[in-house]
Amino acid sequence: MKKVLSLLSLLVLMPSGSMLLAGGCSSALIDQAEAARKEAAALRNEWRDTASLIASAKEACEQGQQAKADELASRALNESQQAVAQAQFMEKNWEMMIPEH
Amino acid sequence: MMNNKILRRLMPAALMVSAVMVARPAHATDYQKLVDADTQAFQSYFQKEFPEVKLADFANGVYALDEDARTQWQEMEEFPPYELDVEAGKALFNKPFANGKSLASCFPNGGAVRGQYPYFDEKRGEVVTLEMAINECRVKNGEKPWPWQKGDLAKVSAYMAYISRGQKVDVKVKSKAAYDAYMKGKKFFYAKRGQLNMSCSGCHMEYAGRHLRAEIVSPALGQTTHFPVFRSKWGEIGTLHRRYAGCNKNIGAKPFPAQSEEYRDLEFFQTAMSNGLEYNGPASRK
Repeated sequence: MKKVLSLLSLLVLMPSGSMLLAGGCSSALIDQAEAARKEAAALRNEWRDTASLIASAKEACEQGQQAKADELASRALNESQQAVAQAQFMEKNWEMMIPEH
Repeated sequence: MMNNKILRRLMPAALMVSAVMVARPAHATDYQKLVDADTQAFQSYFQKEFPEVKLADFANGVYALDEDARTQWQEMEEFPPYELDVEAGKALFNKPFANGKSLASCFPNGGAVRGQYPYFDEKRGEVVTLEMAINECRVKNGEKPWPWQKGDLAKVSAYMAYISRGQKVDVKVKSKAAYDAYMKGKKFFYAKRGQLNMSCSGCHMEYAGRHLRAEIVSPALGQTTHFPVFRSKWGEIGTLHRRYAGCNKNIGAKPFPAQSEEYRDLEFFQTAMSNGLEYNGPASRK
């Protein structure tokens, strides 16, 4: 009985264990989000939560929660793309933001 | 023959002189004049927005705008919460380093130099803030630098601000490099950033004096005169760059490190906008 239980527990633990041994999971969305975050950072306009969203996406991915990982990575990607667009727009138009009385 | 020789020797020098004369513009740019025009427009904006407030009173921040808040603040200032920090700052300022020197060795006038900072160091090509100068003095004397946002550095800065009260803000912008740093700070101040797409000017110019939940938004004019501040929210004294980081977080932008080039340039610009006001730090704030 003990042997059966041990085998069962091994089967249950195997997927997550192998993922950890492989050094994490891979996700194209996370990679895209990270690349976009770096682009925003290079423009000195990274948003507050992007890095933590990516870190949470990686954690979810490593735990096999692919849907959650994708959702978090999508949010991070969206944030980063908006941050890049914001920086590019402000680079050209910041003087228009000076209020007049 | 002799004359030709002399001419040949003199020719390179003559060419150099004429090249310099051609390259030099008829009128060199007066960067201070450009900054002064900005300062005038900036201060005029607030004077039109709040015609009942005297220009000098903007050094009191939000308490210049709201009478009730001012009354509470004045009562608080009778026993100011930063008093112990100023005393601790004085002791730290005079405390000998391991090499026998002290912070007092680095600063003239007994440390009453608040009015000289921030300035643009032409040799280094960057803005130097008071906090930066304090830590550089420590490092130069073999001591470890203090953390930038609070603690001992803020206490010493508070002491130096306290003994400098009444000095006029007088930021100078004399060169192209200084003007570039000033313009970077200006751009930072007006450009929108973060998840909320807000800028420093969006809150502290366009919304100055209005309520943000229970609080009144302070005017940008005079904000740099009274730091460091003892903030009730912090429960301790903190530096201007700590406040900058807090503001950036509030609008959903990743803050820059205290004393980063971004925040030093922002301080340089913002302080120039308060030229003519008096330094009156440290202060207490909610």
